[in-house]
Amino acid sequence: MLPNRSRLSVLVFLLPPLLLYGAAVLFPILQSLFLSFFSWNGISDMEFVGLANYIRMFTADDVFWRSFFNALGYLTICLVLQLGGALVVASLLTSLRRGRELIKTLYLLPAVISTVAIAFLFVRIYSIDPVGLLNQLLDWIGLGSLERAWLSDVNTVLAAVSAPEGWRFTGLYMLIIYAALISVPKELEEAAVLDGASRWTLFTKIRFPHIRPVWITTTIMATTYGLRGFDIPYLMTNGGPGQSSELLTTYMYKTAFTSTDFGYASTNSVFIVIECLVAVGLILFMLKRKAES
Amino acid sequence: MITQTAPAAPAAPAPPATPTPAARRRRPDLFRILSRVLIALIVVVQVYPLAWLFLTSLRSEHDFATGDPFALPKALTLENYARAFETGDLGKNILNSFIVTTGANVLIVLLGMMAAYAIQVLGFRLSKLVRGLFLIGIIVPVQIALVPLFIDYSAVNLLDTYQSMIIPLAGFSLPMSVYLFSSFFEYIPRETYEAASLDGAGPYRIFGLITLPLSVNTVVTVVLVNSIFIWNDFIFANTFVLSEELKTIPLGLQNYIGAMGKVDWTATFAAVCVTITPLLLVFLVLNKAMIQGLESGATKG
Repeated sequence: MLPNRSRLSVLVFLLPPLLLYGAAVLFPILQSLFLSFFSWNGISDMEFVGLANYIRMFTADDVFWRSFFNALGYLTICLVLQLGGALVVASLLTSLRRGRELIKTLYLLPAVISTVAIAFLFVRIYSIDPVGLLNQLLDWIGLGSLERAWLSDVNTVLAAVSAPEGWRFTGLYMLIIYAALISVPKELEEAAVLDGASRWTLFTKIRFPHIRPVWITTTIMATTYGLRGFDIPYLMTNGGPGQSSELLTTYMYKTAFTSTDFGYASTNSVFIVIECLVAVGLILFMLKRKAES
Repeated sequence: MITQTAPAAPAAPAPPATPTPAARRRRPDLFRILSRVLIALIVVVQVYPLAWLFLTSLRSEHDFATGDPFALPKALTLENYARAFETGDLGKNILNSFIVTTGANVLIVLLGMMAAYAIQVLGFRLSKLVRGLFLIGIIVPVQIALVPLFIDYSAVNLLDTYQSMIIPLAGFSLPMSVYLFSSFFEYIPRETYEAASLDGAGPYRIFGLITLPLSVNTVVTVVLVNSIFIWNDFIFANTFVLSEELKTIPLGLQNYIGAMGKVDWTATFAAVCVTITPLLLVFLVLNKAMIQGLESGATKG
């Protein structure tokens, strides 16, 4: 605490940031909570409906549940590609002697491309007529029977819209995990190698426990980003065909801005916020507990 | 959760120099080869689509529609770029993205620094609570703010303005900025402040003469990390902006989807190439700083 500070000076520094943050983040959260108890289309009078929106969401809305499970599938694919991919590449990278910086840069490249550009790109990669990269590749390696229009097939569309998101950010998580792996004390690893530890033991007993705090952070980051996924599914398929690639976020967006049902859309938003908080709580609970045992 | 990772390791640390028993010598070699092949493969997966995007933007339309997608273009043409500039107003889009990114960054840096200064240096009773409040902004998804902000903006006539994009973009990036600045301020020794205080400097002068000049590196980090997300923002622009005049790059690109969903792909890819160039150049030139920023952004957050 600075000796000569006045109460006023604290306010001078604190108030402007809090005003912006309050207006853009905190107040809208409260507003959503408030709106979720109303029925309102933005034009006519607001009508208080109590818990009706919540009851509708949990008991009478099949699309909501469909979107919820789709969102979990989307999250799973993103987590596997981002965290799994990141961990593997980061580990491999530490065994490399040259070219690490170059690979880090190349690997991160997709992260600077906008989602609209990525959506365009992947529409072409998945395309069947004219044949896109993926189908051509399958043809070459003798899996021609798997060729299909990936974005129109209800069985593959969810995976097809999730993969670009995983692809886009895996470099980011790789960087973070790599930085953590590099900080594992060399003496520890050398001692373990001298004791005849295999690569696998080295990884599970020394490296991973050391990077656990960073792993928790990246898992939380990837999960909250995965749960807010929106752009790529919205741009590539707009939730279709049918509802096969509808996520909670795209469903909420359509409810709000296509059906202009602001009340019900806010109920969906409140659910998304709670879902994120629960997810973060679960991650902390599971990973922290494992660390103690 | 707050972890400090060591600064980047030396460029090429030698592998542990342990004498390998003859019997085990062959396995590490195999491992090394395999891991190299795997790394090469993964890098190809990350980079090839982007290279393909660029090559396609130089292909003739006919060649693209009929040829093998992996084949190299039969002839290079810049026609697509000409059509791309005809169809959309790319210059305007880039300018708009630049205005929004600059505006949001100014707010994020200035306000983030101020909040961190109040929390970390000045200190006050409820500083823990304020820190916690900022954590909310990292966890909750941005979509929560869309409906409320849309309603609020239409009440105060802010829809379809630069501010309508800048406010939420800055608001949701502020927490990360506050955390980065306050973890940096922790490293400025107390004595510096105390000495300045004894010389009669008040909190404003200390902020302007000590904290601000020392923070240049952190400012660069904060700007680089946030610019990636702000430059590419789609959702706020798509929700709050309606007029052509204000469209940022992501919205401008959508203009290339013609009537009935028919897309002039080669021209679209040319437009994509034009619009990703500014950020890509910054990234390639400053990639060391950016990579360090992203690493510290996550590990300190």
